Amino acid sequence: MDTILSVSNLTKRFGDFTAVDNISFELKEGEILGLLGPNGAGKTTTIHILLGITSATSGKISYFDMDFFKNRQESLQRINFASSFNTLQGKITVLENLLVFARLYDVKNPKKRIHELLEFFEMREFINKKYWDLSSGQRTRVNLVKALINSPEIILMDEPTAALDPDISDKLLNLIEDLRSSQKLSILYTSHDMAEVTRICDRVIFLDKGKIIAEDTPLGLTKRIPYAKLQLTFDADRKQVEKVLSENKFNYTFISNSVVQITAKENLIPTAIFKVSNADVWITDIEVYKPTLEDFFLQITRSEKKV
Amino acid sequence: MRLYRILAILTEEFYITKRSFEVMMDLFFFAFVTVITFGFTTLYFLRESNQAFAYHLFLGLLLWEIIRVAQYTLSVGVLWEVWSRNLTNIFISPMSAKEYIAAEMFSGALKSLVVFITISLIALMFFGFNVYQVGLINIVLFFINLILFSWFTGIIILGLIFRYGTRIQALAWGFVFLFQPLTAAFFPVKILPKVLQNIAYFFPPTYVFEAARASFSNPGIIEWNLIGSAFLENIAYLVFSLLFFNVMFKKSKETGQFVKNEG
Repeated sequence: MDTILSVSNLTKRFGDFTAVDNISFELKEGEILGLLGPNGAGKTTTIHILLGITSATSGKISYFDMDFFKNRQESLQRINFASSFNTLQGKITVLENLLVFARLYDVKNPKKRIHELLEFFEMREFINKKYWDLSSGQRTRVNLVKALINSPEIILMDEPTAALDPDISDKLLNLIEDLRSSQKLSILYTSHDMAEVTRICDRVIFLDKGKIIAEDTPLGLTKRIPYAKLQLTFDADRKQVEKVLSENKFNYTFISNSVVQITAKENLIPTAIFKVSNADVWITDIEVYKPTLEDFFLQITRSEKKV
Repeated sequence: MRLYRILAILTEEFYITKRSFEVMMDLFFFAFVTVITFGFTTLYFLRESNQAFAYHLFLGLLLWEIIRVAQYTLSVGVLWEVWSRNLTNIFISPMSAKEYIAAEMFSGALKSLVVFITISLIALMFFGFNVYQVGLINIVLFFINLILFSWFTGIIILGLIFRYGTRIQALAWGFVFLFQPLTAAFFPVKILPKVLQNIAYFFPPTYVFEAARASFSNPGIIEWNLIGSAFLENIAYLVFSLLFFNVMFKKSKETGQFVKNEG
């Protein structure tokens, strides 16, 4: 896959505060790259620098092998942006808004393109409605039409599902997956929803305090947490279970008198089950929780250790 | 600079103007009410006192509307983007700040022209006041100079909005009125105290209003000296405002204010 966005040693300082600290990464053609991190980690600032609406203190950005700072217009012609935090002109209709953007991007046959996209997003019936009269889900879809109007090769998405209900979010994610496969779109994606990131991102960059502290596939990141959780439901005296777990030095917490949660290395999970059942404890239910991206996120943000 | 991007912003301006009751009020309603009020005031003064004095008041008002409407258009245009949280969408397109300003300048001039023609016809039809008696060349020269000045004030405010956000948005409506007394819009410059007279000549509209009063009293006369002085000052002011905007725009991106403008 070709690299279509390359970021080298990007730094942004606001006075004494360093929002983005010497980060470098690449986005490949057809790839969905997640940009994760706690609030204030520098995700949105990075996106804004990549869009040219916040200036960088230092560093280099290249889109399609062109220096972004020297070729701003050529680069922006081929990319677009979608965010739940931005809206279009509220007083004018969906069609009028989209015609303005079609003209800004010099789209040939703008009305045809707009109708096609509105059809795709099942929004055609709202074409003459004022933008402010749309629901938040409908607005998000119109924002996406705007983001696709110039047939971009890269879309930067800043928490596009924030403030959407789960059903609309799910549809949006399906759509992003469709677009990636049908149009070979590359997407830089920020979100606070770890399940969402795990589902659609090929690779994830983890930012904290402006620095990249981890970069891997979502699965690769979760594998960095060596512990899994085992939840046993049993029909026996709690003290009996407590005794066997203590003797074998397991880390455990009782959720109730008949449910215990054991945190252990993945390879020790069968041993824990074996030891408990061998102590004449009748296990009625077993559940194993493998680490998720959210666990990784929590581990990083709570321990603030470099992974 | 690409014409299609300038046209895109003009198209958006047209849609907003067409659909916004507020813009229609600010542009046409206020202009209409003001011309009616000043029309009756002029009629009253004509009956009670000196004719030239009364006409100068009305003349000043009609010409002042050119400045007000163009400056308002230039400054408030960006506020519509900020209020709608659409500013980022506009500026992450390939459009440059230069193209955006060019579009707003043209839009301001066009709206000013429409409002000026409308109110001057109202003045003629309802109050028998013919501003065109100063001569068409004079009207064109006055219009160009007043538009240049309104661009200067509009671009300065635009720069301040980018730099400081909606905190200073009231300037978009109010700032230009600072120049109403200072440029002697409704009375001869000699009425001002000596210190203010000296200050008045630092502002191009002062020359325009003086020239307008002179040519209204002596139809056909073109006060080239006054017009020339206004034009030279306007060019200097316009260059300054563009440089100022450039610094403010750059600073807005450096400090992060640009994105903060949308909350």
